Amino acid sequence: MASAPQPERALRLLARCLIWYPPPPPTVGFLSMEEEETYLELYLNQCAAQDGLAPPRSPLFSPVVPYDMYILNASNPETAFNSNPEVKETCGGFSSVDLSFLPDELTQEDKNQPVIGSKHETEENSESQSRLPSPSDIGLGSNSPSLSNPHSQQHPSDTDSVQASPEKPDSNSLPLASITPMTPVTSVSECCGIVPQLQNIVSTVNLACKLDLKKIALHAKNAEYNPKRFAAVIMRIREPRTTALIFSSGKMVCTGARSEEQSRLAARKYARVVQKLGFPARFLDFKIQNMVGSCDVKFPIRLEGLVLTHQQFSSYEPELFPGLIYRMVKPRIVLLIFVSGKVVLTGAKERSEICEAFENIYPILKGFKKA
Amino acid sequence: MGFKLFCRYSLGDARRPLHETAVLVEDVVHTQLINLLQQAAEVSQLRGARVITPEDLLFLMRKDKKKLRRLLKYMFIRDYKSKIVKGIDEDDLLEDKLSGSNNANKRQKIAQDFLNSIDQTGELLAMFEDDEIDEVKQERMERAERQTRIMDSAQYAEFCESRQLSFSKKASKFRDWLDCSSMEIKPNVVAMEILAYLAYETVAQLVDLALLVRQDMVTKAGDPFSHAISATFIQYHNSAESTAACGVEAHGNAIQPCHIREAIRRYSHKIGPLSPFTNAYRRNGTAFLAC
Repeated sequence: MASAPQPERALRLLARCLIWYPPPPPTVGFLSMEEEETYLELYLNQCAAQDGLAPPRSPLFSPVVPYDMYILNASNPETAFNSNPEVKETCGGFSSVDLSFLPDELTQEDKNQPVIGSKHETEENSESQSRLPSPSDIGLGSNSPSLSNPHSQQHPSDTDSVQASPEKPDSNSLPLASITPMTPVTSVSECCGIVPQLQNIVSTVNLACKLDLKKIALHAKNAEYNPKRFAAVIMRIREPRTTALIFSSGKMVCTGARSEEQSRLAARKYARVVQKLGFPARFLDFKIQNMVGSCDVKFPIRLEGLVLTHQQFSSYEPELFPGLIYRMVKPRIVLLIFVSGKVVLTGAKERSEICEAFENIYPILKGFKKA
Repeated sequence: MGFKLFCRYSLGDARRPLHETAVLVEDVVHTQLINLLQQAAEVSQLRGARVITPEDLLFLMRKDKKKLRRLLKYMFIRDYKSKIVKGIDEDDLLEDKLSGSNNANKRQKIAQDFLNSIDQTGELLAMFEDDEIDEVKQERMERAERQTRIMDSAQYAEFCESRQLSFSKKASKFRDWLDCSSMEIKPNVVAMEILAYLAYETVAQLVDLALLVRQDMVTKAGDPFSHAISATFIQYHNSAESTAACGVEAHGNAIQPCHIREAIRRYSHKIGPLSPFTNAYRRNGTAFLAC
């Protein structure tokens, strides 16, 4: 299904994937730039260590082992063989992982199942695996785009087999199949593991001091200042790739980051630059103002039907914009839904709002799937 | 012009609209828009302005509430859409900031300010709060929904593409088509947007009316008045073949030029005691479909 150029531009390439950082502990005080970067690396190593897997290989590979194995089997037999003993190890390790993040329905299901020791463990395995694949999916995607293809093929088959276990396609190919009898996971896999990826975050912070924009523009690299057009300095940094608008009042807007942490990090970097130029910059009231996420439901959607049945929430003017604009009330999010199945969510202040909005819209979209 | 064919397909005509009908529709829309532009230019001159602004067009449309409301809704959606798209793409955000003026909801502001100034009875301003369902729009949505339900993926893709066509995409071509350069007073950007929308609406109205006409022509079994169709209407049917072709199945058949002509005739027909006062352009004689 060919989509118009505009959604692609608005969405960027979906191949650019989100690197999923769990939120770090609150930072106190002001870290120097070098410290920031090493801090991040240290934190990531910490996470990998917690998961009980070797950090040297990319930490993103760590959480989901069976998928890891599947991919490695396909491409690199030796490493697969090497990772085998690790896999066996972590199987036991998973049973002790804290599963409180799973929704209540799941833990209910657990209770309903006959509690046999090993089976309970393996169910936890399958559930944690069914949640975790998505970030690792994305992680894998960013590391090896060619390898992500078998994954993307798996997901449609997941969506089709509604009641069947999401892991069934894999269980045949995995040597672990004998250990993990899969049970269908219904409520969590309603979205079949599709997690919206964040594309852009807009945040603001108060540097709490008056700034001389001309001085900043003259001395800073990658800074633009055109007082006749706009009363702020436009500064850009490469890592994380972001743009900042710095005003003379000391307020700053940071855009372009792909995660909350990156946005904060970038804002700190800009504040650092300003500080180095001699201003007593602080870092007050950092607030995320808007988050934009996107995802693909992977089936074409009949927008005419949707606009008719959800009139009070949707507007669809194809000659104006190729997507349907859906204003969800709870949570207050605006979704742009395209015929191709791509969905863009915007207006969120928190990541959970985006996920919740997508979970709300997914069954509706399925109802208007264009066969 | 192939664009027009596509346009009509998306508005409810058959997948391969007739060439003659397309030519006729183009002619009609062109004439109507040129006349509209002339009228707007006159209004503009009365004000002593140098460009045709959206206010002039709104003024011309003041008589027909429903169509005016549809236009207002369109303008608001346009504002809203640019607001959202701005939030998504950071380049857009920067461009907007750099362009200086406060662009948010500009069309809405223009409309609101203007209607405020000309509104004597409060009716026009009441339209902003009015949440009534637009029946015509509803009918078009339902028709589209019915059409798309039975399409397969490939057909649906084609249909969607054709719906995305508009007069506003190729603004320069549109301007040339309307021969704006030869005019003394030219429309500004927002006015051009409105004109593009009105052109689209004209085509949509024509298709709506033509479909109604075609439906009327289907002789329903048991209808006692089926033999008493309008005398002027019969004129257009010279041959038995065309009658048969226009007949039974509403779906899958292209709209014929005869339908269009009949639709226009009925629309401009002065029926009823108040007809001289209901249409905005009596002095010109032509009835505008879009206003």
